[in-house]
Amino acid sequence: MKKKMTEAEKREARWAYLFVAPTIIGLLILNFYPIFNTVYQSFCKTGDFGKGNVFVGLANYSKVLAAGETWQSLWNTIKYALIEVPFGIVIALILAVLLNKKIAGRSFYRTIFFLPMVCAPAAVAMVWKWLYNTQFGLLNNIFHSKIAWISDPKIAWISIGIIGVWSIIGYNMVLFISGLQEIPGDYYEAASIDGANGLRQFFSITVPLLSPTTFFIVQTRIIGALTIFDLMFMVMDKTNVALPKVQSIVYLFYQYSFTNGNKGYGATIVMVLLVFIMALTWILQQAEKKIVYHA
Amino acid sequence: MKKKLVALTLAALMALSMAACGGSGSGSGGASGGDAAPADGGSSAAGGTLQVNIWDNNQLAGLQQIADEWSAESGVKVQINVVDWDNYWTLLEAGASGGQMPDVFWMHSNTAQMYMENDLLLPLDDYIAADDAIDLSNYYEGVVELYKRDDNGVQYALPKDHDTIALLYNKAIFDKYGVDYPTDDWTWEDVYEAAAKITEAGAADGVYGYALNSSNNQDGWYNVIYDYGAQVITDDHKGTTIGSAEGKAAMEMVRKILTVAAPQTVVAETGTDSLFNSGLAAMITQGSWMINTFYTNENSANYAWAMLPYADTNGNGACDAGERYSAYNGLGWAASAATAMPDEAYSLISYFCSEKGQKEQAQLGVTMGGMKGISAEFANAFEGMDVSAFTRAEEEGDLFFRPYTRNTTVWEDALQQGGAFLPAWQDPSDPAIMEAACDNAQKIIEDAIAAE
Repeated sequence: MKKKMTEAEKREARWAYLFVAPTIIGLLILNFYPIFNTVYQSFCKTGDFGKGNVFVGLANYSKVLAAGETWQSLWNTIKYALIEVPFGIVIALILAVLLNKKIAGRSFYRTIFFLPMVCAPAAVAMVWKWLYNTQFGLLNNIFHSKIAWISDPKIAWISIGIIGVWSIIGYNMVLFISGLQEIPGDYYEAASIDGANGLRQFFSITVPLLSPTTFFIVQTRIIGALTIFDLMFMVMDKTNVALPKVQSIVYLFYQYSFTNGNKGYGATIVMVLLVFIMALTWILQQAEKKIVYHA
Repeated sequence: MKKKLVALTLAALMALSMAACGGSGSGSGGASGGDAAPADGGSSAAGGTLQVNIWDNNQLAGLQQIADEWSAESGVKVQINVVDWDNYWTLLEAGASGGQMPDVFWMHSNTAQMYMENDLLLPLDDYIAADDAIDLSNYYEGVVELYKRDDNGVQYALPKDHDTIALLYNKAIFDKYGVDYPTDDWTWEDVYEAAAKITEAGAADGVYGYALNSSNNQDGWYNVIYDYGAQVITDDHKGTTIGSAEGKAAMEMVRKILTVAAPQTVVAETGTDSLFNSGLAAMITQGSWMINTFYTNENSANYAWAMLPYADTNGNGACDAGERYSAYNGLGWAASAATAMPDEAYSLISYFCSEKGQKEQAQLGVTMGGMKGISAEFANAFEGMDVSAFTRAEEEGDLFFRPYTRNTTVWEDALQQGGAFLPAWQDPSDPAIMEAACDNAQKIIEDAIAAE
């Protein structure tokens, strides 16, 4: 039952298209072209410097799917996400609630917690690398311990996860604060009059009314965590014993595509990740209907 | 429902492209080596500036000084950007694929053939023929050959330098634990015995007699393999003898030394050069390109160099021909085939590689020359430190060219990691692990060559 556009509406639409054109062109060139190229390359034995690609059908796929390191890296990535996403969200939520109250030095604390987000990820990783160093690291120095934080395969993945949580808290916190400010103060007033204490108010008002924000953060952070690369790349040396148990799937992709120059194989690894993220996103969208509370 | 599916696909695809960006982003992030460098390291001839990429920060000051002299003559500015080794190749390859290479840059044995075969480098034959300052017979043959394309004999780069390997030791540590200094007559067995004493006596101080990572190949265990009569890559670049009896004997020697060296977890986190400079390792092997790092260290008065140890394979107690090998390698100065200023680019390369430029490079202590006969200038560059072990290595010992094939990185990286030598580094007490590692290494190299 579409109405025909009037002349004025048409003119308006033309202007609208003009204004979104830069973004659309940017997306087409910077995102969509690489995406379809990646899909194409995953079916090729790629030549040097992007020249002379030979179509090989599913050969890359059978190799990637049969390789143990693919699944190990995917599992490593999931383990990383299992640390970063829940802890990054819960800690950020607590901080956001505390910093949403009228306390002295509020913007000072907000700035402090947001700072990691402003730092270059490479610089963050270098600092943590030295904190974790077994021989000279600050952590072992303070605790008088000899823990191989990033070289012991049993704990290295947790150490990397901690850096991830530390880096993302500030960003999640800012999103939560903006979500909190959307909640009308009347609800809390009414609850106070009815005799609900702070904790009860948090779980009965804040959590459900914040759930759209929470869901947004969960979804974007899961995708963000599954595409993690820089932490492992910067913190761990190539000869680190724990690397096979920590390297993410994007790290594996980088290793094959850029270090070994085998772009077809690398593209196939990313296709595995793509399918995985698509499946996960579908599950999340189903869950959204049940979990998220729309006021 | 349909709408949802589209949204879902887009969301997932976005994640995919994020992954791709993550990869390349980190490459170019390292590329600029600071915000000052222009975003396109490419052929930006418009400003009259040549973009030069190198990977060794130690050489930046010296090379910039030589380049500035050239600028004074030619009126063309030179901007040298340092990109660390790993990212250098990622960036150069991305630049080559996208047509945005720097004008002038270093070439290396690992990838030279691949770049030459794909016509990405400026052919230099005509320039060299017309240039009085360059005569290819004055340079180290191995380095000249390396940058000559196999199938048509065209020269694509001029020799910038050459390098050898020597043993570096900290006299203060040897004095403290009462162990005799290494000499040029040491075998690898002698290294083992000295390292054992120091590691045992120094346990309380956290001092190790020796430090060697599985990634110290050219400057480390490759040399032992050649001493024992095996080859990492055979002369025809089509195979390896790393899994032979000789190769296994060599790696067994390495394994013995590892039992008294810094554990693998330590060298993977801290790096052998940092351990040495912190006074926590008594001996390491190092390449001549690293001298400046140690020469400028505050403790450099305690540092001394000896020739690489040898392997007394015939057991006569003396070093015979073929028992002491040092790897050597040479970088090349190459220009992009797509540069907007080919004449200027060659002129700069010629200046670097002319007798004047080569002597200056040696005198400034940047590196040993790619031109023969200027070793003395280099040795004199380090006042108070005797670096003659590097030049004696080529006069008194044998040299082998750094092992390379068409796509060296594939097997070279794999050898350092879990499927090959890393388990033996992790647990050097068990000879069976090292032996298995040699067999795995043999297979890795053969498979990689077959895939080239």
